[in-house]
This record gives sequence, structure tokens and C-alpha cells, in this order.
Amino acid sequence: MVNRVPFAARATAVILGAAILFFMLAPLAVVVGASLTAGQFLSFPPQGLSLRWYQAVLSSPAYLSAAWTSLQLAVLVMVAATVIGTPVAIALTRHRLPGSQIVAGLFLSPLILPTIIFGIGILIFFSLYADGPSLTALWLGHTVITLPYVIRTVIAVLEDSDPAVEEAVRTMGANWWQRYWHGILPQCYGGMAAGAFFAFNISFDEAVIALFLRTPELQTLPLKIYAELEFSPDPSVAAVSTVMIAMTVVLIVIIDRLLGLGRVTG
Amino acid sequence: MSATSGRQSRREAILLITPGVALLIGGFLFPAFQILAMAFVPATEDAGIWSNFARFFVDGYYLGVTERTLRLSVIITAITVVLGFPIAYIIARSGPRLRLVLLIMTILPLMTSVVIRTFGWVIVLSRGGPLTDILHAAGLVERNFALLYTETGIVLAMVQVLLPFMAITTLGAISAIDTRIEEAARTMGCSFWRSLWHVVLPLSIPGIVSGSLLVFALSISSFVTPSLVGGVRLPVLAWSIYQQATSTLDWHFAAAQSVFLLLLVMAIIIPYLALMRRKNG
Amino acid sequence: MRIAAYGLSALALTAAMAGTVASTAAAQETLVINSFGGAYEDAHRELVIEPFEEMYDVDLQVVTAYSADMLSQLRAQAGNPQFDVAHFSGGQEVIAAEEGLLEPISRDELEYADELYDFAVEGLDNGVGPVYSVAAVGMLYNTEALETAPASWQDLWNDDYAGHIVLTDISNTYGLLGLLMINQVHGGDLDNIQPGLDAVSELLDRSVIVRSSPEIQQNFAQNDAWIAPYAQDYGHTLREAGLPIDFVQPEEGSPAVFITANVVAGRENTDLAKKFVDFSLRAEAQIGWAEALRYSPTNRTAELPEELAAQVLYGEEAMANLVTFDPQVVNDRRSEWTDMWNRMITQ
Repeated sequence: MVNRVPFAARATAVILGAAILFFMLAPLAVVVGASLTAGQFLSFPPQGLSLRWYQAVLSSPAYLSAAWTSLQLAVLVMVAATVIGTPVAIALTRHRLPGSQIVAGLFLSPLILPTIIFGIGILIFFSLYADGPSLTALWLGHTVITLPYVIRTVIAVLEDSDPAVEEAVRTMGANWWQRYWHGILPQCYGGMAAGAFFAFNISFDEAVIALFLRTPELQTLPLKIYAELEFSPDPSVAAVSTVMIAMTVVLIVIIDRLLGLGRVTG
Repeated sequence: MSATSGRQSRREAILLITPGVALLIGGFLFPAFQILAMAFVPATEDAGIWSNFARFFVDGYYLGVTERTLRLSVIITAITVVLGFPIAYIIARSGPRLRLVLLIMTILPLMTSVVIRTFGWVIVLSRGGPLTDILHAAGLVERNFALLYTETGIVLAMVQVLLPFMAITTLGAISAIDTRIEEAARTMGCSFWRSLWHVVLPLSIPGIVSGSLLVFALSISSFVTPSLVGGVRLPVLAWSIYQQATSTLDWHFAAAQSVFLLLLVMAIIIPYLALMRRKNG
Repeated sequence: MRIAAYGLSALALTAAMAGTVASTAAAQETLVINSFGGAYEDAHRELVIEPFEEMYDVDLQVVTAYSADMLSQLRAQAGNPQFDVAHFSGGQEVIAAEEGLLEPISRDELEYADELYDFAVEGLDNGVGPVYSVAAVGMLYNTEALETAPASWQDLWNDDYAGHIVLTDISNTYGLLGLLMINQVHGGDLDNIQPGLDAVSELLDRSVIVRSSPEIQQNFAQNDAWIAPYAQDYGHTLREAGLPIDFVQPEEGSPAVFITANVVAGRENTDLAKKFVDFSLRAEAQIGWAEALRYSPTNRTAELPEELAAQVLYGEEAMANLVTFDPQVVNDRRSEWTDMWNRMITQ
């Protein structure tokens, strides 16, 4: 913590921070409000207050099992993207590779291609060369589109970090394996945590690729929401979102208690 | 790095990057190729292999769509940079408790499904919505003012969901800065603002670059929010692709638009990366 | 260090989980079909799917996929299809048949074919499945805002409605049929949709254009919408949700949306799939559709109770008055019309 921050800076921080957070949270407040309606359709302000849509969601086996499937999928995707993406980021920042800007650019291409096109492409691919869609296919598809997040967030922390640490580890006689494990990897933690969070989140909310790669047994939460929208567009989707918001808050607080989020984010 | 011999460094780099490259090629480029190749298959037999691309340039319509897409993406990215840096700095320099609260509030927009989050924005921006009420009460606008179905509306809704990507990525870079550097600058008589501008900001550049790449790529390829908030009369390229893929089912044309989009964005991103890399050392 | 260890154990866990979610082979015969989700799927299960499972002792696996998404999936899976029966509500069966994705059904393979109106089985000759329900496109209007119900398609141009009109984009089938109907009312035909486009362009400044059903709901519930050309079944959905909405068939007629059941080509169980399609045509099921979602029966032996009959386009005469557009022409021109429409609305 730097001392002697001038009053003007503190005041600016408070006002700016409050304004930005208000902007970020106002639409969410609408969603939370709409989820509390007693009426049959999404509206704001809510038409009478009731928890009926929470009851509808939390007592629906379809919603619960879809959420469980999505949770498993998102964890699989998060792990794979982090394990594969981190070394790529290290290679792109710590070593001089010919054409590394082009490679770095190509690793962003899964974000740029609209998911509808990738979804169709990967379904054609699995229909031609494998036995059609499956959980593995969906895992692969989601890992591919979340990889860029991990790579970029890890690059962001590595480019700033101090190569002297690695140098010190090396001069102490570490072999290459120890050099990565004790020298470079700890510097990546912040970026890995951020990238892993993004990967988890993107997979958890992704509907288009999931639509193409799902099987009759594979119902994810976004697909369940998709299935409700056309013929039963009721406030239960707002309730689902509110439950997710609440769970995120609780989860982050728990992680903070257990791991100390402060250490991961700085 | 200087101590690592060039050859060994390259061998290690290849080892590190191979799984990622394999996944990119096998899991992305190859499947994407299955459909992107259709761009070069003419829709009718007598047309040439560029006919799907030619359709894109036949009049100003698709160029207009492209122009809007690019312009909005640049504006959205610029706004997230301007807002994301201070938010990240405030989070990084807050006490642990406040930092946790701010962090949670920053990432919450990501935790709602895109459809329902956009619903929130449609309400906020529509005629008679809370935004109109506030602005009208302040005497700034008419009663029937609405930002729904405007480009401003698209920008607002997109910035909200993309700001977390910028803020968190920049936060990573700021956190990696040794606070003693900032202390040193201050002890040597730098004002707070000067040290922020000359010490913290330059060291945050890698985070800002990474964040802006994510935000730019995401805003150029998203279609749900622009389509619901912007409406049918302000189409963006990703929506156009989506429409061709699912409604008119013209996959050849959808593929041609996608190839065009990919090349266009690469032509922006790769020089940007090279430029930033050189500037940053 | 600790995080890396978590990562590794998570990776191991990953492999274990991937194993458990893999599908288990069913002993029964299985058919995979699509349905349209929500209340539609609930009705579908009750009226067709579950009775069929009981009668033939098969396991039906239902995947939610709307018509356009369904066709995209069938097309991408060409050669290795994963569905046995495909339901469409937007004319996609015509394209699917043209591309060889559907197994043709002959009339004598359908026990109930003779009970259907002619239009419902006409497609069989072109390789598409029978029509098991019809949705009529007309006017949805807000009964609290409008004192008298609209009577004609021309009423959309009533100055009193300015600012309260909701139109539907051409990417939505209801929007496409609405445009073709407006075009017909203004003297155009399938060779010339310019009169329709010109007419709609006069409405641009006083209406909003949406793409999906939920947006229609939102506009009626939240944005003071009074009138929208849309389908009868959705009017019922809105009324069930408590909105003061009614449907009216304009005097010039209602375009018909055909909901078809099709057998996917290249699957092992096509005989069973044909039985399922046939089963969908039973009068009991069609009465159920009318009750649950206000779809019109295509089986002439389906008798609706009087009260219900008043809320559904129903019977020999009403069916004859439905406006249909040659699906072949519509599909050939759709891309061209979409370009014209897009240019018109973004001007």
C-alpha cells in the first residue's frame, strides 16, 4: 500500500468506483427484481412479490441435473484450458519464437469466429471422423474456445514479472524442471486463476456449441434455459440467474477463506 | 533468459507450446475448416470460387454492417480500457476486505446467462425504463427518450459484460508490479498522479493489451446482445453470419463472411501485438 | 505449488468424470426425436411420446431443438445422423428433403393418412413428412388498449396504432409469412414482393421489429405494444401468462404454418420412426394439441368441444381458407428476400 495518496485521488477513486459499479450492477438489480415477481412473465418492476419461481427452479429435477452437468463440464473445461494454456503463454513470453506474434494472434481466433460457425464445423468434424457428438466432443469444443482467455491472462502477468527470480533459481543449480516449477509457475498463479475463472464461466454459459454437440443425455443449464425460452418464457430463468449470482458470491467468499484470494490476485 | 542457450530455449519453447498448438489445429482450425472451406464453393454451378465473397461487396450493405461492427468494437474496447484501468488499480490498492467486495461486484455481470442479462438491459434502456426516469428527472431528456435500439445502447450493454475481462486482466498485471517500485518513485518526489502515469500505467501495458485483445475479439463476434439491444435495424456482422447459418441456411455465404471477419480481425490484431511488443521492450 | 497440485488432482478427477457421464446402452429399442421445449414439449410428451412408448415398448429420447437449429444439425450430421424423427415448424422439411436428409414416407405406410385433410399429406410426394398441426398467423392485439378488434391486415396502417405496432423479422418464419401476406394484400405475389416491402417500409417509423417470441411477450408486457401480426398459439401462451391478448383472423385470411413430423434418412429404425410419425396423426393427439396450445388439427375426424372450437381455426371450411404459399418457391427465394428485407429495414 502506497502511503500519502492525495485526497483528490481518493475522492476520484470513490466516485469513479461507485459510478462504475452502479453501472455494472443496475441491470443485475433488474434481473433480481424480475425474479421475485408473482406474475407469469418477466417484468420489471415485479408484479407482486413471491418466491414461487425460486421454488419452481429449485424443485425441478430438470434444472438441477442440468446445473450439475454444466458444473461438471465447466470444471473439466477449466482444468484442461488452464493446464494447456499456461505453457503456451510461458513459451510466448519467455522464449523468442519465430513468428510468435502470428501464433499469439492465431490463438485468439477461437474468440473471433462466431460460435455458430464453429459449432457447425465441429459437429461436421465429429460426424465424419468420430461417432457423432459426445461429452468428450463438447469438452474439446469448450476447451478450444476458453484457451485464449488463459493464454492472455497468463501473458499479462508474465510480461511484467521479474525474470531475475528464474535466474536466481537457475544459479542455485536447479534443473529445467525445477526452474519451471519453482521459478516461473508461481509467477503465473494470478493469471492462471483469472484465466481459469473466465474458462469456467464461459463454459458454464455457452449455449451454441453445446446445442450442436449435445446428446440426448447431455443437457446443460444454458440448453435448459434455451428450451424454456420459446414456449414457456417465464421468470424462472431470472430466478436461475439470481441463484447463480448468489452462489458466486458465496463461493468466492469460501475460496477466499480457504485459499486467501488476496494471494492469488495480488 | 540470456543465460539460456538459444537452442535449448527453443527446444523448451516447442515442448511447452506443442499441446496448445495441437489443440488449436486439431480442435479448432481443422473443424472450422470443415465449414469455412464452403466459402470457396460457389452456390450455383456457373459461379466462380469467389462468388460468395463477391456477394459481400455487391453494394454498400455489408460494408455498412462491417463498418458498424468495427466501429462499435473499437469504441467498446476503448471505453473498457478507460474504465478498466482505474477499477483494476482501485481493487489492487484496496485493503483485503474491500478488495474482495470490489472483485465480486466486478465479476458478477459474468455470472448471469447472456439472455437474461440482456433482458435486464432491455428494461433499463427501454421507453419508460429506469434510465429514462432518472435522466428525465434531471431534466436532461424528454419523457419518451429511449436508448433501446440505438448504437449507444449496444455500447452500454456490451461494456458492462466485457469490462470484467479488461479489469481482471489488468488487475493481474498491476498485481505483478512490485509495489516498492511505486514507493521508490514516490520517495524520490514524484506526485501520486505522476507515479501513476509514469510508473504504474507503463507497467500495466501487458495487462491492458491482453484485456483489450479479449474485449475486441469478444465484441466483434457477439450477436445476442447487439441483436436484442440494437434490434434488427442495426445489424452487426456476427448477427448476419448467424442469420445466414440458421435462417436462410446459406452456409456458403455464412462461411465467406466468417473468413472475411477472421482475416479482417487478424489484420488488426497481429500488427497491434507486434507494435505493443516492440514498445514494451 | 499447492495450486499446481490441485490442478493435477483435478485432472485425474476429470478423466474419472468423463467416464461416468458416457451414455449407457439401452436394452429397449430407442428413437431419438426433437421437440420444441417448454410447454410444447410437455404437451408433446403427454399426447404422443409417452403413449407411444407404452404401446410399442420403446424408449424415446427427446432433444430440444427448434426447427432452424434442427435442420442445421441434420445437415452437419449428414452421413452419420443421430436423430430418427425430426419435427419442423418453419418449412425446413422442404430443404431437408431436397438435400436427401429425409426418408420418404408413402401414403400407405400411414394408417391415419386417409383421415387427414389433403394439404396435410400433399408433401409426401415430395419426400416430406405429414402435417400434424397448423398454426395460423393473424393479429394479436391488446384487448385493453383497443376498443374494437382489428379486422383486416390493412388495419396495421391505422394511424391510431402508430408507435404501438410490433412486427417480426424475416428470419422468423412467422415474420416471413406475415410479410408474404402483407405483400399479397397489397397486390404482390411470390414473383414480386416489392409491394409488401414498400408497405412495411411505411410502418418502419411507427413500429418496432423483433426476432423472437419472447420479445413479442416483452413488448406486450412492458413496452405498451397494441398490435402484432403473429401466431394464434402464441396468443394463447400470452393469455395464459395473464396478458390481455386476443387473436383475430383478418378477413383476407391467415397464412398457415405447418408443423410436420419427418423420418430421418440413414437410420436403422426407420420403420419404427414411421410408426411414430403415424401415431402423431391420431385425432386424440390433435385434439390435445388444440386444447394445450391452440393448434389447428389436420385430422378431419378430430372433434373439438364447442368452447374450444371458438378459439382455434378448425374444420373443413376454415382449413380451406388458410392461405398457403408454395413451400418450394418460398425456400428458393428466401435468401433473396432476406437480402431485400435487410436492406429495406436498415436504410
